[in-house]
Formats: sequence, C-alpha cells, structure tokens
Amino acid sequence: MGEKQTLGEVEHHVLLATVRLGATASYTAAIVEELESVTGREVAPAAVYIALRRLEESGLAESEMRPPAEGGRPRRYFRPTAAGRTLMAESRRRFEALWSGLEPGWGDG
Amino acid sequence: MAEERHAERAGPPEALRRRMWRRLPSADREVAMEELDDLWHLRRDRLGVEAADRWYRRELLRFPARLWTERVRRGWAAAIRSAWTMGQGGGGVDALIRDFRYALRRLGRSRGFSAVAILSLALGIGANTAMFSVVNAVLLVDPPFRDGDQLVDLYTSDLSGTLYGTWSHPDILDLEERSEGVFSGVAASRTFVAAVGEATSPEVVVGEAVTANHFEVLGVPMHLGRAFGPEEDGPIDSAPVAILNHGTWLREFGGDPRAIGRPWRINGLDYEIVGVAPEWYTGSFPAFRTGAFVPMNMIRRVMGQEENPLEARGNRGTFVRARRAEGVSVDQANAWLESFSLGMSETYPETNEDRRYTAIATQDILVHPLVDGALVPVAGFLMAIVALVLLIACMNLASFLLARAEQRRREIAVRLSLGAGRSGLIRQLLVETVLLSTLGGLGGLALARGAVDALLKVRPPIPVPLNLDISLDLRVLLFTLGVSVAAGIVFGLVPALQATRPRLAGTLRDESGAVTRGRSRLRGVLVTAQVSLSVVLLVGSGLFLRSLLEAQSADPGVYTGEGAVIWPQLDLSGLTEEEGIAYWAELEERLRGTPGITHVGYTDMMPLGFGVQTTGLRIPGVESNRPDGRIDIDYAWTSPGYFTTMEVPVLSGRGFEDGDGEGERIALVSRAFERAYFPGGAVGRTVDGPGGERRIVGVVADTKVRTIGEDPRPRLYLPDGESYREARQVVTRGTGSSGEILRATVDVALAIDPRVVLMDRRTLDEHFDVHLFPPRMAALLLSIFGGLALLLAAVGIWGVVQHSVAQRTREVGLRVSLGATGGSVIRLMVGSGMRVVAFGVAVGLVLAAGAGTLVAGFLYGVRPLDPVTFIGIPLLLIVVSLGAAWFPARRAAAIDPMKALRTE
Repeated sequence: MGEKQTLGEVEHHVLLATVRLGATASYTAAIVEELESVTGREVAPAAVYIALRRLEESGLAESEMRPPAEGGRPRRYFRPTAAGRTLMAESRRRFEALWSGLEPGWGDG
Repeated sequence: MAEERHAERAGPPEALRRRMWRRLPSADREVAMEELDDLWHLRRDRLGVEAADRWYRRELLRFPARLWTERVRRGWAAAIRSAWTMGQGGGGVDALIRDFRYALRRLGRSRGFSAVAILSLALGIGANTAMFSVVNAVLLVDPPFRDGDQLVDLYTSDLSGTLYGTWSHPDILDLEERSEGVFSGVAASRTFVAAVGEATSPEVVVGEAVTANHFEVLGVPMHLGRAFGPEEDGPIDSAPVAILNHGTWLREFGGDPRAIGRPWRINGLDYEIVGVAPEWYTGSFPAFRTGAFVPMNMIRRVMGQEENPLEARGNRGTFVRARRAEGVSVDQANAWLESFSLGMSETYPETNEDRRYTAIATQDILVHPLVDGALVPVAGFLMAIVALVLLIACMNLASFLLARAEQRRREIAVRLSLGAGRSGLIRQLLVETVLLSTLGGLGGLALARGAVDALLKVRPPIPVPLNLDISLDLRVLLFTLGVSVAAGIVFGLVPALQATRPRLAGTLRDESGAVTRGRSRLRGVLVTAQVSLSVVLLVGSGLFLRSLLEAQSADPGVYTGEGAVIWPQLDLSGLTEEEGIAYWAELEERLRGTPGITHVGYTDMMPLGFGVQTTGLRIPGVESNRPDGRIDIDYAWTSPGYFTTMEVPVLSGRGFEDGDGEGERIALVSRAFERAYFPGGAVGRTVDGPGGERRIVGVVADTKVRTIGEDPRPRLYLPDGESYREARQVVTRGTGSSGEILRATVDVALAIDPRVVLMDRRTLDEHFDVHLFPPRMAALLLSIFGGLALLLAAVGIWGVVQHSVAQRTREVGLRVSLGATGGSVIRLMVGSGMRVVAFGVAVGLVLAAGAGTLVAGFLYGVRPLDPVTFIGIPLLLIVVSLGAAWFPARRAAAIDPMKALRTE
C-alpha cells in the first residue's frame, strides 16, 4: 500500500543499515546481522532479502556485484539512491517533528 | 582469525542445503542460497557451528515460505494493477481496443488451436449448464412460499406399506381440530385426473382438489382473481369454482384477464374460474404440473365417483402440508404427532390402530421421500459425468495455453527488451484469456440451450404432464465460465507473469530449456489425465450399452409382437357402473368381430409398465414381517382372454374361463408363487385376500412384472368378472401391423361411446419400450459424453505429438541425415505420444473398475468388470490415439534435414 510515497519500517531500517555499514560491507547477510545487533531483535533474513529487491525495483536502492575487498566469490552490495536518501530524510523529519512536541523522557520507561 | 578456528566445515550441512534448495522458488534459488550461506558463516563466527546449524534449520521453513508469499503477492498485484489500468478511461480504452484486436488476430492466426480451445470450453460449459439447469429445475428449486421454512409435509403410515403415505379426510379434520398451537394452518390436497373441455374432444389434465385455505396456508398469492375462501368449504358438491394454473390460463385463454368469471368444463360440469395461480406455483409436487385447482368439496364430481371419498376414514389419498406455529420446531411437531397418533389409535381402533404420522420440512423434500432416494443418486451421477467433461475441457484449455505461453516467452522477451511495459503485456494476455473464455462461454450457452431442448424432448413414459418450463440457470453458466477463466488465468497468465518478471537479482542465465521440459511434462500429465478420464466415461457408456442390449434381448415371458394397448377411463368419462359394465362387454365382443383383430384381453396392470400394484395376502403357514401377518404380493385383475393374448401358458390346473368370478372366489398364481409358497403344488390350496378366502385353480408361467432385470416374481391373478372396474387396459393382437391394430382398437372403443377418455393408446412395442427407458437414457447420455471425452482426448494427444515434432525438428533432421527412414521417424514420434496414452489407459482402467462397482446396481445382465468392455474400450482408445498421433508424426517424417539443421 502506498509504497511509492513513504518507506515502510522494514525498508527504512534496511536502508539505514546499508548506510551504517558503508558501501564496502553492505551485502544482504551483513545487513541482517547489523540490524540484529543494533536493534537487539531477531530479524527474518527473507524479509531483508525481499525488502532489498523491492527497494531496488522501485529505484530507492541500487546494487553492484563485486568481489569483496578481502577476496572470495563476488557479492551484491546495496546502497540507497538519491531518491532513496530523499525519502529517508523525509521519513526522519516526519518522525522528529512528531517526537519534538513530547515531554522529554516520555516513553523511555 | 575466527575463520581459522571453525574451519572444520565450510558451510551449512549439505543435507540441509539440499532441502533448502528444493524449497526455494526456482528463480530465487541461486542468489538466496548464497545469502543464506553468508548468514550461516556470520552466525558461525559469532555463535558457533551448532547455533548456526540450528538457525539454518529454522530458516528451512521460514525463508522459502516468505519468498513464495511474496511471489503470489506480486502476481496478484500485477494482475490487479493491469485490471485497474484497463478500467481507467482515456488512453486505457484505446489500449484495450488495441489489445482486443491483437488478441483476435492472434487467435485467428492459430485457428485450429483456438477452435479446439473454444469448442472444448463450449462443450464443458454447455454440458454443465444444461444438466444443472435440468437438475435444478426438477429437484433443487424451492418455491418462494411465504416463510417457506415454516412448512412441513405430513405423512401417515400403518407400517404395512410405505412410511410416507397419504391421509384420509376425517383424519385431517381431527388433526386440524387437535393441533392448535402446533400448526397454524393445515392445508390438504388430493390429486385427480379429469377430462376437461367439450365432450367431443376431451383432454386429460391432472388437477388438485384443495381445501379452501390451501393458498393462504402455503403463502401463495394469486396472479389474478382470488384464492378460495371459506364459502368454498361448504358441503359436498356446493362450489363449482376453479383456479387455473398459469400455463393452463395462457394455453386456454391466451393470458386474457377476462378469463375470470368464465365457465370451464371439467368432467362434464361447468366451473367458474375465480383465479389464476402465479407462474411459479405448479401444485403440491415439484416437477409435476397441476393444470387446475378446485375446492376439496368438488372431489366427488371431478373424480366421477358415486361415494363421497371425504367421508370414509379408511379412504386415504389426501396429501397434507401444514405451517408450523411460531416457535414450534420440526422435532417438536413430530413429538406432538406421536401423541396424536396414540389418541387416534384409541378413538378409531378399526381404522387407525398403529397408524403413525411423520412431519418433514417441505424444503428438505425434493419430490417425495421415496422418490428422492432414487433421484438423488441419479442426479449426482449425471452431475459427476458432466463435471468430468468440464474437467477434460479445462485440461484442453490448459494444454493449449501452456503451449502458447512457451511460444510466447521469446516474444515477450523481445517486447520487454524493446521497452514494453510489464503491465501492458499482462493486460494483453489477460484480454486474450478472457476473450477465449467468453467465446467458449457464448458457445456453451448456445449448446446448453440446444441440449436442454433436446433433453425436454425425451419424456419419461409416465402419463402425467411434467413441469417442463426449464430456463437456463445463469448461476451455473457464470460458475462454469468462472472455472474456465480461472483455468485460463492459472495456465495462461501465470506462465506469462513468470515470463515478464525481471529476474530478481543478477543471474540472467537462460533457463528456457529447463522450463520447456517442465512444461512438456506438465502437458504430458494433462493428457494422461484426459485419457484416463475418457476411459472412465467410455467404460461407463460401454457397460450401459451392453446392459441395454441385454435388456433388449431379454425374454419378458409375454408376447411382445404386433399389438396395441389402450386404457379407457370410464369413471373419468362420466359413465355410470351400469353403462360401464355394458361398455366393457360390448367392447370385447365388437373387437373380436373386427377384421384383423384376433385376440382381446383385459388387465388392470400390464407387466413392465411403470406401475406397481400389490395386495396384502395371508398364506397359510407362511411367516410375514407385517404386523397383520400378510405378505405383499404383486397382482392383477385379468380377463380369460389376457392369457392367450399375452401368451402366458397355464402350467397346471386350469386358466380363467368366462363366468369366473361370479360364484366361488378363485385365483391363478405364477410359477414363482407356487415355488415360493406351495412347493408341493398350489392348485386346490387357498389364500386369504383380496375379498376373503380364494381357491387357487391354476398355475401359469412366470413373466417379468416390474423390471426386465428382476428374478421371477410371485404374482397373483384375479378374475376381473368378480367386480366392476372403472378402468382397464385393453390388449389386442391381430394380423396387421401394430399401427393398424391400434387404429382399429381405438376406433371401436370410441365408436361405442365417444365420451370415453383414453388415458393411454400405444402399440405393444411402445409399451415395452418403457422399461428400456432408464438403460437407454443412461447409454445415450454416457455415449454422448464418452464420445466428447474421446474427441477432446484425441485433440490433446494430437497437440502433444505436434508440439514434440516442432520441438525436435533439429533432432529429427539429424536422424534423417544420419540415415533414419521415414518409418522409423514416425515410429519415434508416435511412440512418444503413445507412452502417455498407455499410462493414461492404465490409470483409467483402475478408476473405471472402481466406478463400475458404483453403478453395478444400474446394470442388467452385465458384470461391472465386463471383460468385453474392459478390453474393447482400451483398444478403441489406442486406435484413436494412434490416429491422432499419426498426423503430426507424418509431418516429422517429411522434415528436410538440411532445412531442419539450419533452423536454430
């Protein structure tokens, strides 16, 4: 639903993870691990796999096949496109705008 | 570092990896397997080998499941998107028209294939729509009674005969009086057969005499005029008014509303027409049409009887339908009827001892509880047959579309690479599938109309007008159309979607070879299924055809040559008993004196009609399970001439003679009767029934009585000089043809008294055809559908071989250039098709053996595993299949090796 206008939560997380990992390490398995270690929750690898394909299809992410720097078989590395980065920024702005009115410390407990 | 420590295994266990591979969607396999391997490595480095394996094992289910879900979602999303784009106006319409024309052009280009697909669908849809429309009209339609779920049919029984018998009028009055609070209304009706119209050209109608509250209790509003009112519940003969059936009104009065108030003659008396029933209400019994309704108090007049049938508590024959009072369930009604039964037993011990009453919800009854038991399996059987035909037709469509999808992969790839949009491609394929199905549906509609008309021409040989206004059932048409569109989408659109979907990630390896092989295998499976279903239908038709032949050549034990039967109804004709007695005597005498007529006999129950007539007989020393110790025996009142006319020889004792019946009460019995009850000889022994003690004076040969397939049945013959009979069947034989004998017989019967109504006038051939009706219908229908199935399967085989020829052009070219002869090429190609056929035949024979035992009860003289059928049908199928495979195979033999090797 409305996948063109906004980012779904999973897509948003996945894009963030690719940025955090950097262009040299953002392959699917690494993204799964990154999401798990940062959020502390288990992540379904298939969800990440599907999200990456959808992002690529809708032009929000792009990928490149290349061997890793340390050698071995080629892997597909993902990163957000300009359109993807714009959407991420918008998403973030909306969240921060919504959070900014709240009392400090709300929801922490 | 970490990698060094865990170097003992480089990846997830091989067995797990293989399982994962098998479960993943093929398009995602390679990429997804690599990602999973990566994840396993990362996990192993962090948590160790065992934890990584555990995780992998969990993903075995989760990962593929999510990917498959995603694929299905994408398919639907694409289909919905393209439907949406289609639905939008502007350029969408132009594109739609373009797609439509393109689809037409494509269908036109492969005319043979298109015609086969459309015709298959038309046959499947047509057969189902026609059959369901008939079954639905006869059995499933609930008349729109007001609050119809509140209605119950009430039956009575003294347990000596059927559980679902009818009522006597005095009993109904008691029921009405005592059932306050249980039933809010009790309506009664009695069927009669009467002559209507002028005496010179009387016509026979089935009518119903109904209580004045009939239409009100049932909740049937009048189409025109009024229903009967309390003034029509007066004393006997006091209300000569009538309500016409809608069809009768149209036929007799051309739908003129001024018919109300006009007189209408029934059995020589004018009735004033007060109302016209709505079109949907055709009387108390669905499938039968009541021509007119008169008040119950006119029953004596319409039946032409002297006695008032409403007075005797023992005179049963009235059907009761009641409306349950608010809050009373069917079970509660039955519980109350139980107590009603006890009360009635006490009050009227002579007539109502042990009489039970049953209520069944009207909506749960199709025709009658006894008939339903036989009808439901027959209807189910017919529906199963047409469903098989639809299945075979859908398989042809599927096969067709699979072949197209394959051809189309390349076209689609080219169009995609030239920048065509996915949704446009899908829309165009959708248009083509829908076009195909619509054309098939239209053809089906036409076929169904024709089939229903043809079915209606085949009337069951019963002398009652059936309710035959059958319109096509729109729901079935839409349902079958839906099934075929769904088949079209599954087999046409899904391969297309696959073809248009960009590879998920990377790997643009060409897998068309593997896919093509998969599809060919799928088509092979479809043809196998077609062949096996055809075998089932053909074996069925073979069994019924053989059964029909057996029945036709079976000996009924009576004369079946040139002759005629007529059935004068003196009571309906308005003759008094005195006139009647004189009529019968004169008829016999004048027929005997008619040139060309040699034999005349009377009976009231011709053998092998559709009727059954039994009497409770007490035979000394013979046990019975009836409470009164009597045994139900088939019987007939017959004249002395009957036995010579029908060639039933007297085996011992004497036959009937003129004057029998005037003095001592006597009877003849059949050979089977003697064997069963008086093995020491029946002549001279006595039995008790009908009318008291009777002495058996002779034993005659056995004849078939009810059905041609029955074992010799004990039968009792009574001399019909004993009492007056209002109706008799008159059998004549002579020197001319059956037609001449019939004409002469009818002429004499009407010359004596033109008032006489003949219920039946037919040649002996026509009469004995009656018992062949069920096997003939079964054989006819099964042969038609079996033939269809065979045709469809042959087309399927032709398609498969044709396709494999086209695919193996290069291979064949190579073989020919290496010296293969035309014959060996044909053998090769035909052989590839026949393997599929052989497998299908084997599967089909197993299924047919199962189906055969299911229909064993309908067969006569043929075992369900009849060797002739079970060998003949496979041979027939193999010969037809060889033919179907031969044509395309011959083309393979004509392949020019040079050309073939040049094509890629």
